[in-house]
Amino acid sequence: MNNAEPQADATDRALLQRMAAGDRMALATLYRSYHGRLCRFLSRLTRRPDVIEEVINDCFWIAWQKAGDFRGDSRVSTWIMGIAYRCGLKALRQHGDEPVEDRHIPEERTPATDPEEDRELRDWLGKGLERLSADQRVVVELVYGEGHSLDDVATIMQCPVGTVKARLFHARVKLRNVLPALAEGAHAFKEQAP
Amino acid sequence: MTMLPTYPSEDCPRAWEMMPWVLQHSATAEQNDWLSRHLAHCPACRTEFAQQSRLKQAMSLPADISLDAEAGLQRLLGRLDTPAPRQEPQRARATGWLTRALAAAVLIQAIGIGALGLKVWTADENPAYRTLSQEPAAPATTGAIRVVPDAGMTLADWNALLHSLQLQVVSGPNGVGAYTLAPRDNKTAAQTDTVQQLRTAHGIRLAEPVTGTP
Repeated sequence: MNNAEPQADATDRALLQRMAAGDRMALATLYRSYHGRLCRFLSRLTRRPDVIEEVINDCFWIAWQKAGDFRGDSRVSTWIMGIAYRCGLKALRQHGDEPVEDRHIPEERTPATDPEEDRELRDWLGKGLERLSADQRVVVELVYGEGHSLDDVATIMQCPVGTVKARLFHARVKLRNVLPALAEGAHAFKEQAP
Repeated sequence: MTMLPTYPSEDCPRAWEMMPWVLQHSATAEQNDWLSRHLAHCPACRTEFAQQSRLKQAMSLPADISLDAEAGLQRLLGRLDTPAPRQEPQRARATGWLTRALAAAVLIQAIGIGALGLKVWTADENPAYRTLSQEPAAPATTGAIRVVPDAGMTLADWNALLHSLQLQVVSGPNGVGAYTLAPRDNKTAAQTDTVQQLRTAHGIRLAEPVTGTP
């Protein structure tokens, strides 16, 4: 956790308190601040923009209803990510996790254009992530993308910390085996079957 | 099958575990220093750390699926003003379930009533019980005797006669003053003798055994 996070969490808690009192401006502020990271987080679960948008709105619909129930046992971001994760799983059960063909993506939802370097990085990452299970992709996103601790991830995914550790370990091993090496000595770690 | 790594040195597993937390700046200063020293003399872990750094950089890029946050927010705010649309299908499903359950219950009851009615209809018409309001099958009383006492017979004589012959009144008097008597213990063997005794008794004008069919 970096130094900015406690302050960000305090801001989020204040917004939740205002939401509990029915303040829609607070809801809008929280929605905008989380939209980008939720979009990326949920894109690890599904490639369907319509499902991602539906899940984000389901998540904030619940956050709006339950804002007064937030007990503060975790950071607000952990709480919201947990809601989004459960909404995402529910949506996958309803819609399936098959990606929509590019030609079916509405014009305003086409992937953003990237600088060449970012595109290469995305391609490199995509080759690795496609080899992971959905749960492994979520753990990698929460740890490397969102900067959550093992305890946070366990809270979000509602599973034991040991399970998170195992998912992270196997995800890293798979990624290391799949992703192209960056420098010399790439095969210094020899492999063996478990 | 996941291929597990083997490590060049004993410190490598510790370095492997520490890398994500150093990269996300949640490791302690001591852990940071230890990993730096390890990486300085371990090429394999340097390579792994470089790949982990690139992974973190890639994971930190914005989503490659672009959504309009403002449009989504407006849809959410619109949904707040119409709070029930997503609940409606669930309620409809719940109501449908309740309706089907009630219909099933009614159907089961109808089948049960039908089966009970059929059983009652086919059952013996002479049940083993008799209600208080039911007309007794008087003539069927075994050993019954119809008796017409004399008008001058006293109640004490009448009672003494019935007592001596172990008889009781089961019906009467009817329109012509006749009583139907029956043995107290339902014995029929002595009916003829009893009739004879009644006929010879003082104050009895008529004594005839009751037959089942005329």
